[in-house]
Amino acid sequence: MTPSAAVEDAFRSEWGRVLGAVVRSTGDLDLAEESAQEAFATALRTWGRDGVPERPGAWLTTTARRHALDVLRRRRVEADKSEAAARRGERVDGPGRAPDAVHDEVERGLDDEAWTPDDPDGDLLRLLFTCCHPALPLDGRVTLTLRSLTGMTTAQVARAFLVPEATMSQRLVRAKRRIRATGIAFRVPPPAQRPERTSSVLAVLYVLFTEGYDAWAEPADDVEGCAERRALAGDAVRLARLVARLLPDEPEARGLLALLLLQHARRGARTGSDGVSRTLAEQDRARWRRDEITEGLSVLDGALAVRRPGPYQVQAAIAALHCRAATAGETDWAEVLALYDVLFEMTPTPVVALNRAVAVAEVHGVEAGLSAVDAVARDPALASYHLLPALRADLLTRAGRPADAVVELRRALDQVDREGDRRLLRSRLAALGGASAPDAG
Amino acid sequence: MRYLLLVIEPDVPDRGPDADIVDWVRRHDADGSRVLGERLRPAADVRRVRVRDGSTLVTDGPFTESKEVIGGFDLIEAPDLDAALAIAAEHPGAWGGGTVEVHPFWPTDGVGPE
Repeated sequence: MTPSAAVEDAFRSEWGRVLGAVVRSTGDLDLAEESAQEAFATALRTWGRDGVPERPGAWLTTTARRHALDVLRRRRVEADKSEAAARRGERVDGPGRAPDAVHDEVERGLDDEAWTPDDPDGDLLRLLFTCCHPALPLDGRVTLTLRSLTGMTTAQVARAFLVPEATMSQRLVRAKRRIRATGIAFRVPPPAQRPERTSSVLAVLYVLFTEGYDAWAEPADDVEGCAERRALAGDAVRLARLVARLLPDEPEARGLLALLLLQHARRGARTGSDGVSRTLAEQDRARWRRDEITEGLSVLDGALAVRRPGPYQVQAAIAALHCRAATAGETDWAEVLALYDVLFEMTPTPVVALNRAVAVAEVHGVEAGLSAVDAVARDPALASYHLLPALRADLLTRAGRPADAVVELRRALDQVDREGDRRLLRSRLAALGGASAPDAG
Repeated sequence: MRYLLLVIEPDVPDRGPDADIVDWVRRHDADGSRVLGERLRPAADVRRVRVRDGSTLVTDGPFTESKEVIGGFDLIEAPDLDAALAIAAEHPGAWGGGTVEVHPFWPTDGVGPE
């Protein structure tokens, strides 16, 4: 491996650990970021000349911690100078001076002799719980997690989320400021708060995954930033793998990993070569990644064996049923419906009810499916959810009511915002003879 | 860090002493996390003061229609937010019908406006 490839490799695997180690000693996320960046820049300069160190992670952590210590000492000297100047009556603008006791403690924490043995996993876990603290706004949690755990730059995160870099930068600054202002500590939460805080971590990873996975149902060539967004799904899988390993007693963490693996395995089949998104029934199952499905199924079995079911495990079990069916026709819909009943009991949301309606139609017939859809159709949460009219259109077509289906498809087209789905709806409309030109609009 | 706990609860004429609260106060006085705190009199005894265009208006308060009031407050010292939330969760005011709000103080050292 070339030295620069080694640095790149270490960046992917070690960024969060290096950052977490400095945060542990200083409690200062900005300083930790600067120091981690400096360590990787130093590695780029020196590994070519001196060779790649035996333990790159430890080398990078030590380098980052030294840099942090240098910065803190420099700040202290400057604060002393401005204090002396202030005593002489000169006015000097600059960072305020932290109390000496605080300074001493932080410097002691950074001192190599006082450095406790490496606890890279613990550092990562603390960092993750901090970035996903429920006191932070959800968008801040998601971006901070990406930035801190994967080392993506603010510009990269901004591109992936299709927002201007300045907006993303503001989001990160706000989140970090809230960490300091409200006193969010860099640590694993006490046992009483563990369940709530773990759910927040898992929810952040799921949001992250969905952001990326949705881009796999888009025509990559025609949608700006699609490749970057798709990569988020892989990042989320890696982070879920980490969380499942770090929280071995949390079956829901393994449930989430299984769910992400089983969905991600289908990514390559989510759009056709025509850039039209494909429903589960229409996907070319030969393009599903069997190796990833096998892994997902075994992770799920491990989680279910703990016998503490939760929404992620149930969703993963549903995904597993789809993955196990060689063709759409062989899907065990009765079992899918039974699992949706369980899921709806755990999380009675209109979106779950809508997904359940799909299974109802398969098990009890199209009319029963339509009734199940109508039962939630007026829920305000679904007011602009294009999958509601899209599902009605599908069921109405199967019920032999094409004119009604056309009305629903037009409504869905008004609400859809993703290009792959728009093309899918247009092709459905064209098949019913209700289309204007397929490319119009 | 310091946090202000506001106990929001249904307005009742007289709360009287409460064994659970006495116990909470005793424990957090003992471990040094509680700095000070008081139970507040019911809404009927509250007055609101506003100065508008130079004249002072005093009205009954706090919110004539509101069924919930600030029934008490505590100032606590906690190492971090999670610890403060745990102390708040032990407060009897958070149980049953009540809510305990956890307010960080403004400004904090080195932290600018959001």
